Amino acid sequence: MVATPLIGRVFWSQHAPDDRQTNAVAGKLRVVTDLTDLVERCKAGDGSAFREVFRNHRADVARLVLRMTGRPGDLDDLVQDVFLQVYRSIKDFRGQSRFSTWLYRLTVNVVLMQRRAARSRPVLQGASDDAFGADVRDLPDDQLARTRRVAAFYRLLDRMSDKKRAVFVLHELEGLSPSEVAKVVGAPVLTVRTRLFYARRELLEMLRDEPALEFVARELRDERQSESGETLTEGEST
Amino acid sequence: MTVERRPEERALDRMILELREHPAPELDWDRMETRLMREPLPTSDRTSRSFWSRLRLPAAGLIAVAAVATVVVARTSAPLPSKQTAKLNDAPLNGDRLALGTRLTAGNQPLIVEHAGRARWTLEPHATAFVTDAGEFLTVKLESGALSATVVPNPKPETFAVEVEGTRVAVHGTAFRVERVAERVQVDVSEGTVAVEPSSTHSAPAFLLRRNSRGNFALDGKTGNVEGNASAVVADGAGRQSHRTLAKAAPAPRAPQNALAPAKPEVSAQPSSQAQPLPAQPSISDIETGVSSAVQLMNRCFHDQTRTDNRVSANTALTLTVAGDGTLQSVTFAPPLAPGVEECAVGGLRALTFTRSVEGVTFTRLLELSR
Repeated sequence: MVATPLIGRVFWSQHAPDDRQTNAVAGKLRVVTDLTDLVERCKAGDGSAFREVFRNHRADVARLVLRMTGRPGDLDDLVQDVFLQVYRSIKDFRGQSRFSTWLYRLTVNVVLMQRRAARSRPVLQGASDDAFGADVRDLPDDQLARTRRVAAFYRLLDRMSDKKRAVFVLHELEGLSPSEVAKVVGAPVLTVRTRLFYARRELLEMLRDEPALEFVARELRDERQSESGETLTEGEST
Repeated sequence: MTVERRPEERALDRMILELREHPAPELDWDRMETRLMREPLPTSDRTSRSFWSRLRLPAAGLIAVAAVATVVVARTSAPLPSKQTAKLNDAPLNGDRLALGTRLTAGNQPLIVEHAGRARWTLEPHATAFVTDAGEFLTVKLESGALSATVVPNPKPETFAVEVEGTRVAVHGTAFRVERVAERVQVDVSEGTVAVEPSSTHSAPAFLLRRNSRGNFALDGKTGNVEGNASAVVADGAGRQSHRTLAKAAPAPRAPQNALAPAKPEVSAQPSSQAQPLPAQPSISDIETGVSSAVQLMNRCFHDQTRTDNRVSANTALTLTVAGDGTLQSVTFAPPLAPGVEECAVGGLRALTFTRSVEGVTFTRLLELSR
């Protein structure tokens, strides 16, 4: 089931400016009006409005931050940084794009700035694994294996360049279309598509080096072989 | 027939699904909220915070006054209502004052919208469209009818786009016309280049239409007929480029404005069915062998065609598009090289062949040429 990213997107898209006129559902219209009003109140320094923006969007921001960094240990600080930036910058939000696009852009920028700063600091090896594996010893085997696979996949994402990882996360995990991703990262759509192509190809290459994930591919190969009863050629298996 | 995906690709898809389902850990939201509300400015910014703290009340007052003034000005300058049916209107509408999502319907006369210094678009009679993005990348969604646009050339590509259902027509500084005809999208390019592509996926290549070419596309933007100087490529759109379609292309006469292209085989972005199982793409080693040959050839051409006693160097991104049958479909140089160098390179590159595959492949290499 892929409901997790969808819930966030549907919620955000309810606030989309272009839905204001096209959507005749009163409830949704109400939500749009509320958001516009909230943003205006935030601009005017209304603390309660900012609190509401925080409560409405904190889960979505946390999810995106986790996917961009793969480090649950940094999550708390980064989400707080994002909302500090929202607080500082909301006056610059002119409503020329969706609020969700603006918030995505801001979140991605905060994460990338943090990563750049972190490069100049010593890295604690295995921090990502520890964070994912801290309280997993009591999990059933399948859940434990899944958690390890997720941690392994985040390690691969971590090896990619910032630009490729950002577009991959926004498109493949958050479900944004390339044109939406283009608006978030400020690049032409064709550039986004090219980055997605190479990000995917790079990940396919890296999968082979990651034992926890190579296992998945091997499992799928075995499944396919048992289904077809055929032996794969060398070309297909590499 | 469905093309079997490689196990690695299926593994990647499975991992993507697992990551999507993996929930973010619950944070102590109450504590974070308390911190945010108590100390909204970061501790690392102490100097400026104390300065701004002193100005907070006056600033808040100013902001409130400005907000009120903005609202008053906005109301008195009468932004367009959410739905508007424009009748005869010779003077262009100021596109920069259109509220996002404002639906425009032209009456019996064309409706002209101008975004100062950026683009001017004309909604033809009875057509309906609305602006979905008014920021750096102007985007207009065409619901019905036709729209013509002239876009001011911009060093940043794709600053203007028209969307029709799932098709996106993005512009690189040009004059063009888009029309929705039943379940098809027709695009005519008078100047410059436009890219036509699906707006929701990245797996299909974009169609590049250049001056005096036209195309008729499905609403999902994945398939279409192209006529004239057009081709299907994946490009990075990073700026100037010289694109050579190596497959035989139809001559590029100026197409009549309202005639549909004659029936032609549908150019499909979907992989074609294969009798024998083929790899999705040529192997990396095959690609690298081809790249190596291409680089040698480029160096030789650059050396032979650049006649000077001085030291000369040039950088370009070479993009090769390989068709499923292993032949080279197109070559792109961004930025373009001297015509003589390009002609020499293209002549030699034609001979390159790759192993057959289902999808073919497009790849780019940055080259530094010198003599």
